[in-house]
Order: sequence, then C-alpha cells, then structure tokens
Amino acid sequence: EDHTLGNSLRYMVMKSLDVDFCGYSITHPSESKINFRIQTRGGVPAVEPLRRGLNELTDVCQHVLNTFQSRVSEFRSQQEDVMD
Amino acid sequence: MAATMRNVDEIRDRVILGEFDVKNVHTTDYPGNYPGYDDTWSLQKFQKNFRIDVVQMDDTSLEFDMVGIDAAIANAFRRILLAEVPTMAVEKVLIYNNTSIIQDEILAHRLGLIPIKADPRLFEYRNAGDEEGTEIDTIQLQLKIKCTRNLRATKDSADPRELYLNHMVYSKDMKWVPIGNQADVFADIDIGPVHGDILLAQLRPGQELDIVMHCVKGIGQDHAKFSPVATASYRLLPEITLMETVEGEKAERLKRCFSPGVIEVENHGGKVVAKVVNSRLDTCSREVLRHDDLKNAVKLARVRDHFICMYPVNLEITVCCLANL
Repeated sequence: EDHTLGNSLRYMVMKSLDVDFCGYSITHPSESKINFRIQTRGGVPAVEPLRRGLNELTDVCQHVLNTFQSRVSEFRSQQEDVMD
Repeated sequence: MAATMRNVDEIRDRVILGEFDVKNVHTTDYPGNYPGYDDTWSLQKFQKNFRIDVVQMDDTSLEFDMVGIDAAIANAFRRILLAEVPTMAVEKVLIYNNTSIIQDEILAHRLGLIPIKADPRLFEYRNAGDEEGTEIDTIQLQLKIKCTRNLRATKDSADPRELYLNHMVYSKDMKWVPIGNQADVFADIDIGPVHGDILLAQLRPGQELDIVMHCVKGIGQDHAKFSPVATASYRLLPEITLMETVEGEKAERLKRCFSPGVIEVENHGGKVVAKVVNSRLDTCSREVLRHDDLKNAVKLARVRDHFICMYPVNLEITVCCLANL
C-alpha cells in the first residue's frame, strides 16, 4: 500500500469522533508498506474506526462514481443536442 | 465591495496566498478542532455538498470540477488514474528481422510506448511465467515493412519521399493479427494503435523490419507505458477579492498583474474601476503582491474543496478509474 490508500484512509478515520490520533507513514519508499496508527479515546477498540473508515471510504467512492457517471452522460447528451 | 469572511470560516475553507508563504494549507476540519462546528463524517452531508461539473470532454482530454471533497481523496483519484488503471501495451517484441539503423532494443522500447486502442476490461492479466500467451490475455500485432527504391522517380530528385517507397515506418503500419477466437469476439472493433502517425523508424532501400508484438494488460505502477493518462493534474479554484476600490491608472496595472480575462476595467460614471470577472482563469502567479501599492488592495486565496481536474487521456477510461478504487 502507499499514499493512495494511506492518506485517504487517514482522512476518513480522522473524521470520526472517537479517534484521538491517526497517522500513517511509509516504512521505506522501495517497499510498498505503510505504518498506520490509530489511537482512540474512551476505551473503544482501535479496529472499529479502521473498519468504519474503510467502509465510509468505499461509500464515498461509490457516490463519486455514481455522480460522475450521471454527469458525464448528461454532458454527452447535452453535447449531442447542441450538435443536432 | 467584497465581503470579508469571519476568520474561522476563512481558516477552514480557504488557502491564503501570501507574499512569502501560503497559509492554512492543511485540512483542519476534524471533529473537536472547532467548538461549535460538527465536523464528524456524515455521508448525507457529503452527498448534499458534493457535486461534479464537467467542463470539457472529448476524445483526448477531460476537464471537470469536483466541489465538496477533500484533497486526500481527490489526490487518491489522481494517483489511481496515473498508476492503477490498466491498459494494453506492447510487452514482448519478437524481432525476426531488423536491418534498419535503429537498434533492436531502442525499437522495442519505442513500440512499447505506443498507445493501443483496446478495451482492457475485455482482457485478463497474463499469468507470471506464461511465455506464449493465450487469446484471453494477449493481442498480437505485426509490423512487416521493406523499403525499396522508387523506380519511377525522376533522375535528379533528392527528396526522399520521391526516391524511396516505405522509407518512414509509422504506427499505422502495425497490423492486428487475431489469435484464437479474437476474430469473432472483436469483429467490429478496430484493434490497433490509437494514433497512426507516430514515426517509429526510418529506412533506406534494402532495409526491412519483420516484427511480431505481443500486447498485454498492465498498470502504470509496473511501467509508465501502461498509464492511460498523458498527465493527471488538479488545481484549486482561485479566489480574488478586492479589499478596496481600485481605480484609474492603478486599475490598469492591477489588470496586467493577473492572467488575461481575470480582471476587467469598467467605466463607472467617468471613473475607471477594476472588477474581478473570472477568477477561474487565473494561474495565481502572485504578481500583484510584488507591487507595494497594489498588494494591500487584493486578497488572493484558493477555495479548499473545489478541485479543477484536467486529464488528457488516450482512451475512454473515465468509468474504469473510479470503479477501480
């Protein structure tokens, strides 16, 4: 894994309420591994915000994909109208 | 007059371009940072605020705006477009005869970089160690060309276009050779290079090329030839606010400090006044901050969650990219 997943997942985990600290670092640029650290408050197990963050990230991407697809087809049909 | 934003809102929403530095670069709207603001992630809030506006789209490039998303995710999309969207490209080059002046490896390198028009979703990745390649993961192309002297050329001409036949090898000379059932599956799709006018080599009479190429599916992380975009970039929407009225000769100078079309000078009752017309066109060179008398009149900022994305692409992969995340 690298910054592509690391940074976006870090952002999603930070947005949840029970997280005190969240960060990631790349162990070595030649290896594609990241160190991901989550510190929660209130006794919440740290795996939970991680799982939630991953799910929320997939939701975001799904929504972006849907919006994008609909806007692109709208744009295309608009262009065809203009050409006709 | 431009309205000034409350300080807190400004830190949250705008990246300020100062004379010597750029302020408020990082996103700070996490829960707990600002009392009175509920920053917890909410899919409904995101879906309400998020929108995409396609500005321009044609066969070779795509430009659109994404509003209401954070830099972390917009950047993830950019990285994925560059490195993880698969395409087909020439991987194995079997050179049966190359008597041209271009060395084998140079020619093979050039062939690998040619964009191939084939939908990667219809193919599989080749298994590691599989030398031959099957019809489900390989496209075979052939380049067989020989340069000869043109017997009908006039005696004194020195123009190579007249003297020789086939002396320039273009990518349109690469022919698709269907293997297995590809002839039926891809009967109506034209598989071959996207552009036919890429010059591969130059030949002289007697030199020939006899090459068979195998194209496989790959991603940009493996080799840049598999990257579907020429370059993927985004920028934040610039915002220029005038803190005070600028008129007369200063207005003309202010107009020249920005890219053309950003600031217009209008006539209001005899006085010439500057007005911001289209801040989107600005390239944010901060030229105005170099002039002492103008730098206090203007505030340069960028809207933090408005991304103008520009992707020159070779194929219609727009749907593939997001599906891949």
